[in-house]
Amino acid sequence: MYKLLLCWRYLLTRYLALVCIVSVMLGVATLIVVNSVMAGFSTKLKDRLHGLLSDIDVEAITYRGMDGLDEKMRRIAEDPFLGQEVEAMTPTMEVFAMLHFEINGEKILRPVRLIGIDAKGRARLGGFAEHLLNPENRADPSFELRGEARERWLREQQPMALPQRFPDPVSAPGAPPAPPPPEPSLFLPKGIILGYAIAHLRDKTADASKQDKDFRILNPGDEVVVSTLSGAQTADGLKLDPVSFRCAVVDYVKTEMSEYDANYVYMDLEDLQHLRTMHGRATSIQMKLKNYGGYSHARAVADVLQKKFPSYQASTWEDKQGALLAAIAVEKGILNVLLFMIVGVAGFGILAIFSMIVVEKTRDIGVLKALGASNGGVMKIFLGYGLLLGVVGATVGTGLGVAFTVYINEVEKFLSAVTGADIFPRSVYYFDKIPTDIQPASVLLVNLGAVLIAVLFSVMPALRAALLHPVRALRYE
Amino acid sequence: MLDASPLLSAVGLVKAYRKHAINVPVLGGVDLDVHAGEFLSVVGASGSGKSTLLHLLGTLDRPDAGEVFLDGERIDNLPSERRDALRNQTFGFIFQFYHLLPELTALENVLIPRMIAHSVLGWWRARRELKRQAAELLDRVGLGHRLRHKPRELSGGEMQRAAIARALIGRPRVLLADEPTGNLDADTGAEIVRLLRDLNRQDGLTIVMVTHNLELVAETDRTVRLAAGRTEEAVLPGAV
Repeated sequence: MYKLLLCWRYLLTRYLALVCIVSVMLGVATLIVVNSVMAGFSTKLKDRLHGLLSDIDVEAITYRGMDGLDEKMRRIAEDPFLGQEVEAMTPTMEVFAMLHFEINGEKILRPVRLIGIDAKGRARLGGFAEHLLNPENRADPSFELRGEARERWLREQQPMALPQRFPDPVSAPGAPPAPPPPEPSLFLPKGIILGYAIAHLRDKTADASKQDKDFRILNPGDEVVVSTLSGAQTADGLKLDPVSFRCAVVDYVKTEMSEYDANYVYMDLEDLQHLRTMHGRATSIQMKLKNYGGYSHARAVADVLQKKFPSYQASTWEDKQGALLAAIAVEKGILNVLLFMIVGVAGFGILAIFSMIVVEKTRDIGVLKALGASNGGVMKIFLGYGLLLGVVGATVGTGLGVAFTVYINEVEKFLSAVTGADIFPRSVYYFDKIPTDIQPASVLLVNLGAVLIAVLFSVMPALRAALLHPVRALRYE
Repeated sequence: MLDASPLLSAVGLVKAYRKHAINVPVLGGVDLDVHAGEFLSVVGASGSGKSTLLHLLGTLDRPDAGEVFLDGERIDNLPSERRDALRNQTFGFIFQFYHLLPELTALENVLIPRMIAHSVLGWWRARRELKRQAAELLDRVGLGHRLRHKPRELSGGEMQRAAIARALIGRPRVLLADEPTGNLDADTGAEIVRLLRDLNRQDGLTIVMVTHNLELVAETDRTVRLAAGRTEEAVLPGAV
């Protein structure tokens, strides 16, 4: 009992020990903030990636891709296992292309990844329609030129086709009314959906607080040209030729993943098949599972698909992004090791301060032994003291870290305002807010680690106290 | 008084300290019998080994040679847990510099030996009774109004009274007092010795008091002089 009492009293009366608490607290808080922010980034990144990529796809790596799409999809749907697992699937054609367009009479050329999809089918897989900018398209994704885009295109390209506001012809009284003017037959180009960053420039010098820093260079209805390769099977083998396709911007995909927003361009699958003379073909079949259920489950489904289509490659989205995900995990691990050294530093602080306290308390230790306290009991006082410091430091640190994490965006705003530097440049991350994810397991682990270090570093001073000779301790001046 | 079996006895105690690789002999074969109910004083010059003798009697230290017996049972070579228990329950210590724990109140200081004896749970069950006992003891030594005071708020005499109460809480059979008045003025010192005298007379508490103040030994039953590392019965003026 005296151990508890003395631990508690030492905690309340030794202000030097508060330094230990503060150092443990800072270490724990830093670890929690960094872990939460990194977990937030990685969760958000995973969500985004997973949102953009289908759960599983079966991909042909050859130029000609795969044919018999309907038959393949039927085979998947009719498979007793796969039929249970797969919720939706759609064929997709992906190819490199060149996008060119004009701004103020200047030609601009951009390499892009051209993806041919069936807009409605792709929307069923998720991660496409919800990223479209135009709410009308979000509800009903399509490559059709509608509304604003249609009007702009007509105004720019076919002004004569627009309804003219001529005064109604004045008919002679009593004469039959004039027949309505014939509907003008309009040519409407095929639509194309661009990645947000292709069609917008970001003003990087703009004030951090300014919401709309993006300047649109391609409006809905603007004409762009897509050039890619077309392959025709001839007697001499596959003959590749460059082909071009004029189309009009319909909408933008804003995924907030700069990699995708800056490179991806979507068009109708049939148009792309036509352009590349690959009728009825695609490069992959993308699938959404009813229940993704973690990597191992998805991988099991992919394995079944692989067996069914041995000449193609079946992979989950995590397989495709493996390198990136592994890099995030490694980064997090290394950061944790480095930051834990902060707690290690706190440990050395505890060692030093405890050693001083043991020297200061030498006589009291002698008294306790004279009164019948055992060596183990004296040792437990100091171990308990270390434990108490660790627990208090870790608890306060957890509170601080969690509060900092919860209000991290406010803190960032404040710091940005005070220092004038953009601490979280949104143009780099395409996130509006710093994402955080406080994981209870990692918070618990950090706490346990900090407490363990506090106790471990108090072992040496505690041993010293325990082994003090009572008579020498009593005589200590 | 001189019955056959002493309560506490030392036989041929030898103790030397090592100082810079030189052996400094302190006790060179001390024999001492302490009988139950006796108030014994040990006198001697500074450095004559009085405190060392007390530490050996109270199992706080081990002799280089010789034996210590309690009720005829050898105690100097017991394992440390047994000796811890003896110091906690059989012996009570008081010191020249009081040695109260500065973080604790007078009441808590008195309770420390009972806290050492009890586990947390045992303490929790018995705490009311023990606190009552401690308060009673403090009242008896004249500190009933100072229960919640920290040692730094007490005078020297008051601190020594609190230390006596601490030594008594475990109902010890022997009280070992190491220069209990050494740091007090003459009047206060006399009061402390009177208190010890009363405890000895009223409760039959066996007391071994080490002192170099010859005036104080008048209150004690018997005086032993420690010189040249050996004891001799001293007949002092005024001794009973």
